[in-house]
Amino acid sequence: MEKQPLIQVSGLHKKFSSDLRRGLLHGAQDMWRDIVSPSRKNPGLRKGEFYSLRDINMTLYSGEILAIVGVNGSGKTTLMRLISGIYNLDGGTITSLPGLKLTAIFALSAGMQPLFTGRENIYIKGSMYGMTLPEIEAKVPFIESFSELGDRLDRPFGNYSSGMKARLAYSIAMATNPDVFIIDESLAVGDSAFKAKCMDNLREFVNEPGKGVIFITNHIRKILKVADRLLVLDKGSVIHEAEDVGAGLEFYINNCNKHLGAEMQKNKLAVIKSYEL
Amino acid sequence: MTNTPKSPDSHLLSPLHLSEQQNTRVSVSKTFQDLRSYSLLVRQLSRVEIRAEFRRSLLGLGWMVLVPLVAVLVWVLLNQAGILNPGDTEVPYPAYVLLSTSVWGFFAEIYRACSRIQEKYGRLLLMTPFPIITLVAQAVVVHLIRFAIPLFLNVAVLWLFGVRFGLAALLFPFALIPLLLLGTGIGLLVSPLRIVVADISRMADEGIRLLMYLTPILYSPKLEIGILSDLVAMNPLTYLIGFPRDLLTNGTFFAPFYFGFFAVLSIVFFLIAFRIFQITEPRIRERLIAN
Repeated sequence: MEKQPLIQVSGLHKKFSSDLRRGLLHGAQDMWRDIVSPSRKNPGLRKGEFYSLRDINMTLYSGEILAIVGVNGSGKTTLMRLISGIYNLDGGTITSLPGLKLTAIFALSAGMQPLFTGRENIYIKGSMYGMTLPEIEAKVPFIESFSELGDRLDRPFGNYSSGMKARLAYSIAMATNPDVFIIDESLAVGDSAFKAKCMDNLREFVNEPGKGVIFITNHIRKILKVADRLLVLDKGSVIHEAEDVGAGLEFYINNCNKHLGAEMQKNKLAVIKSYEL
Repeated sequence: MTNTPKSPDSHLLSPLHLSEQQNTRVSVSKTFQDLRSYSLLVRQLSRVEIRAEFRRSLLGLGWMVLVPLVAVLVWVLLNQAGILNPGDTEVPYPAYVLLSTSVWGFFAEIYRACSRIQEKYGRLLLMTPFPIITLVAQAVVVHLIRFAIPLFLNVAVLWLFGVRFGLAALLFPFALIPLLLLGTGIGLLVSPLRIVVADISRMADEGIRLLMYLTPILYSPKLEIGILSDLVAMNPLTYLIGFPRDLLTNGTFFAPFYFGFFAVLSIVFFLIAFRIFQITEPRIRERLIAN
């Protein structure tokens, strides 16, 4: 089956401020510019600013799970927030199939209410994803069954363990039935059986026509298990793209340890391989 | 390693809604469309806001009645002690204060709620994106519910104080609309400033508090006290609060020309403030990282 591009990112730039006060000042200036002169182009780097993402080019195809790895602060979450429409672009373009439905999870429990039951939270979180009441009601049996929470669904969400919270939140996100699913480090919690179920579910998900997943994680085993392609980010730039996920991960690990000598690098890779792989 | 083509055949692609909308202005029609699509979220968030506050309380919603009751008792006691000289009020002073503080609260509380929208929900919007109009709508819905419950109590107390309501009293809720829009508009302007220029938002909070003393809430608009009287006469809230208050208690129209004038100004101000809020909102989301 021919792969169809679902999301395409070209020449993407995003800048932030490294200094709090200066960042707020720039924020006030940007707000003023947006109000009085919205057509004016974004200014370049100002004092105290840096590029969090620089000239990012990537494509997500249907039927694939694209994993993105990078050390902390490499720009993975910023990139996903740009694709999700949370942040404004400072340069470049993001294009997609018209009417593409995207669900992003940056923190599984975000917006869930501790004083309300799991069942009540299905309605709260579902509505945050833009679902209507009939849509949510139609999906409640799926959420009940996928989360396997049983009668614990009627207990206050605040009393849930982190694993139970992950079960419910992931099930609700899956119930939105998106075209593209963005998962940002969200499957790190939960018991192994449920995590394995989620991984299998993601594979089944992308086997449906017109579906794709962007998976952000630094868990090497998970990437090897599910990813079809790998993108390595470093200091806001894509430094490597690979369809051979194993080789791509080896590049990533070596790049993380590039400050070490060749011998040390080899040893470190061996340690990580024996532990993770 | 196989490199993925960097420039795939893009005939299937069209400009993504996200990128198109992010850096351009959100249209009015899109705002209404979002509000319709996310009406369930408005209901859910309103329910959460009201029920979460009282879920762990034994008195529950009783607090909504108790708080204004205590407030009016304090003023009645001060009045009986002869400390206050409120000026000529056409209804008993406690009834006057009860209603005036309630209407003032109608203005001040919607200001407070709207001015904290981004501070309160900003982090959530970074995690689960949804249109911010839903948060504004939720703030208004919750505010109206919170106002409506003690209002019934106020009406009953006013009745006990001998206030008799005419047909004009039915217009009372409509006469509050300009006040609601003014409070919401100021709040929406202050909300982004609370993130990027905290000093101005603090000044605005203090300004609103100060404004209460320049508005005939605890004293009559007829009270003559030099320069204060001039300031009171120039204060739009004198009319936006006085008009609905007199409508309910006397069935009369307090300064109808000024009320009409400031009501129109409030509507225009709200529309401008809402637009500015919409335009600046994406910028604020980026700055939330630093907060």
